[in-house]
Amino acid sequence: MDPASLLEEIRFGYGPRLGAPLAGPGLDPDRVLAQLTAADPEGAVWDRPSLSDRFALFATYNAQKKTAAGASPDLAQTLKAMLVDDTTTFVARPAFAGAGFVERLVNLWANRITISNASGGVARYVQSFRDDAVRPHVGGTYAAMLRATLWHPGMQIYLTQPASIGPGSEVGLRRGKGLNENLAREFLELHSMRQGYTQDDVTALAMLLAGMVSDDKGQRVDPRRAQPGPKVILGQTYDDSDPAAEINRFVADVAQRPETAQNVAFTLARHFIADDPPPDLTQALASTYLAQDGDLPSVYRVLLQHPAARDPERHKLRSPQDFAAASLRLLGLTDPDRAADFAKLARHLPLSLAAMGQPPLKALRPDGWPEVAEGFMTPPMMAARIDWAVDLARRAGNQVDPAAMTAAALGPYASPLLQQSVSRAEQRWEGLAVLLASPEFSRR
Amino acid sequence: MAHDVLLSRRGFLIGCSLAASPLLTPVTFAATPGDNRLVVVVLRGAMDGLDVVRPLGDRDYLALRPTLSGDADTSPDLDGFFALHPAASPLMPLWQAGELAFAHAVATPYRTGRSHFIGQDALENGTGGQDGKLTATHDGWLNRALAIIPGAGPQTAVSVGQQRLLILEGDNDTEHYFPVDESGLSLQGQTLLAAVNAADPMFAEPYARSQSLTQDMMGQPVPKRGVGSAQLGAYVAEQLLGPSRIASLSLGGWDTHHSQAKAMSGQLTDLADMVLAIKARLGATWGSTLVLAMTEFGRTARENGTLGTDHGTGGLMIALGGALRGQRVLANWPGLSDSDLLAQRDLMPTRDVRAFAGHALRGLFGAKASAIERVVFPGLDLGADPGLLL
Repeated sequence: MDPASLLEEIRFGYGPRLGAPLAGPGLDPDRVLAQLTAADPEGAVWDRPSLSDRFALFATYNAQKKTAAGASPDLAQTLKAMLVDDTTTFVARPAFAGAGFVERLVNLWANRITISNASGGVARYVQSFRDDAVRPHVGGTYAAMLRATLWHPGMQIYLTQPASIGPGSEVGLRRGKGLNENLAREFLELHSMRQGYTQDDVTALAMLLAGMVSDDKGQRVDPRRAQPGPKVILGQTYDDSDPAAEINRFVADVAQRPETAQNVAFTLARHFIADDPPPDLTQALASTYLAQDGDLPSVYRVLLQHPAARDPERHKLRSPQDFAAASLRLLGLTDPDRAADFAKLARHLPLSLAAMGQPPLKALRPDGWPEVAEGFMTPPMMAARIDWAVDLARRAGNQVDPAAMTAAALGPYASPLLQQSVSRAEQRWEGLAVLLASPEFSRR
Repeated sequence: MAHDVLLSRRGFLIGCSLAASPLLTPVTFAATPGDNRLVVVVLRGAMDGLDVVRPLGDRDYLALRPTLSGDADTSPDLDGFFALHPAASPLMPLWQAGELAFAHAVATPYRTGRSHFIGQDALENGTGGQDGKLTATHDGWLNRALAIIPGAGPQTAVSVGQQRLLILEGDNDTEHYFPVDESGLSLQGQTLLAAVNAADPMFAEPYARSQSLTQDMMGQPVPKRGVGSAQLGAYVAEQLLGPSRIASLSLGGWDTHHSQAKAMSGQLTDLADMVLAIKARLGATWGSTLVLAMTEFGRTARENGTLGTDHGTGGLMIALGGALRGQRVLANWPGLSDSDLLAQRDLMPTRDVRAFAGHALRGLFGAKASAIERVVFPGLDLGADPGLLL
């Protein structure tokens, strides 16, 4: 057993997989960062239809609906199944992935910059938002991720950007319509700076964003809805010569703000290390972010090299998604031979996740799921977590040695109390239930 | 009582590192905003107000509802103009006692579409936007209300049900309660699990409280086949007998596009069961309780071709409780002739349903009208007090 390497899998991935050797030796920042560029055939099994595939499917469906015969039942079924598979993927992809660090980052950033099918009209885009706007950029610059997420049609619909019309534009003047500040506000409040801007900046940004269009024909600004004239945001002037280019220039400028650096740094430190992370860590991450022009891998490297990355005490609570994925990996349910067992479980995944407090792809608010433990620790959520553990253990039955599982899951980090309790159970499966429902397994 | 069990467990847990957590606020020491109780029921799916409280006195009604009004002769009369759906008859004793009232032809401000998603979000968020656009905070109005209710604390409001409700989500801490059917470990397995959880300060209290959920608060095991509406009502009441003064829950299944007669009977039976269970469990406390049941919008005035109704606009709010000045149908009745209908299809809303909730917050908890219009329902004009409360 290589304790530091096990810690790497728990803190920066989804925990060890049954039968798979630990990457080792030790906790190696280079090895973790290499995941950012390596292929991951096991995770790629859960690749989902891309944005262009989705556009094509929905265009066909909408065209069929307008005909006398209506939409074909097969196509309707395909679309419905696609959305169900999207929700399964929420847990399945992390569970199956070889590159756990990449999946953790995708889920982290797709949560910090949230869209959610708790709002109408967004469901078909949520998975594509994760795959097309977030995933390609977790190993790049934060500016590129901000740009891709801002322009994604799912984000545009979720934060009601299509309703925003420059009050001085052709359409605005003719129809007496005006701005919708939703996207402008959340971009500054949640996605980038969090602080250091004023309501005037929000309004000016909404002016700059007015007329954004993002659809199957691409990303552009509709000149009939764009607000004419210069906009002054955070002291910088953006003109109306090429609105789409000016939006992108603004995103690049905001990405370089110290407030954005601070937000990214705190987000990473709180996600991987502790709900209240060490201030020196956040500081180090923020300075690197600024010095390296928002290059995320450089920031991750500082995180991975910090002593807190090797702290044997695991301060964080696994989110329901993390927890479910970690338990499936530990029990070997992602093994190709167990596909039938996994399929049976997959049917219950969305409901189980919802009961634990995280209905897949359905965050209640634009600030995403909680990143702190107490957000998933209400008594009914805790009970659902235990329920998941007991169900999974019961399915595993008495063929599994809970002491060996405890060693595989936690190695030297398993407390004597946990080791004793697991082996004192009357039946093996109950010992396994005690392990999976223990605080030590829920911590990372 | 389960409360005592929780308190004794807490006796040695309090003061541990999570003492600041809202989960740990001691049960008996919380400040409360007085003795009144408010229950907000979100009726998901758009309840057909014209079927629940039928304007039999409106000359156009029967023509709009040729089959759905087939049981009109068994509809209990309310006030000579309106009559109650027969399946809601178990609520008639409440009507007689002045503990049941309705506000008819009401709606949220949402007008630009008839989407369940947007409509429910708008109802729970309390937005004034006609397009259903949520307020900048994307939180729930009942959560915002906690900020302006004197004496409100983290235990004042509780979501009852498997999911938390948007109406109670937001910056103010709230409780979440729902008993669960725990898959059985042997007694020994439970003891071992309890020991490993008790050893971790972050888990000890949430674990202990989660285990108390495997029995409901009356000490009964949780039913294996899901929780019926009467059971849900009893859970709500049990919370209100503790430190909670505000509870919210939702009842789904009101989207009656097909075979409405049968579906509506089931829905109203469930609703009545739930309310009567709340009343029974609350005992004397029912006298200081108000239940408001609200839905995202109403349904079409005309029945459709599949013996149901489609998404509409104006709808019905149901008010119940001993705190109520009831036995009234509050309505500025718009009429049902073609020209009276919104877009010639929907009951025309004549009052903002949020005004009733706003006046309830004022009357029950002493929230200031100006704060309600600013914080809870931004932009709402509360208007004349409908005098819901005794």
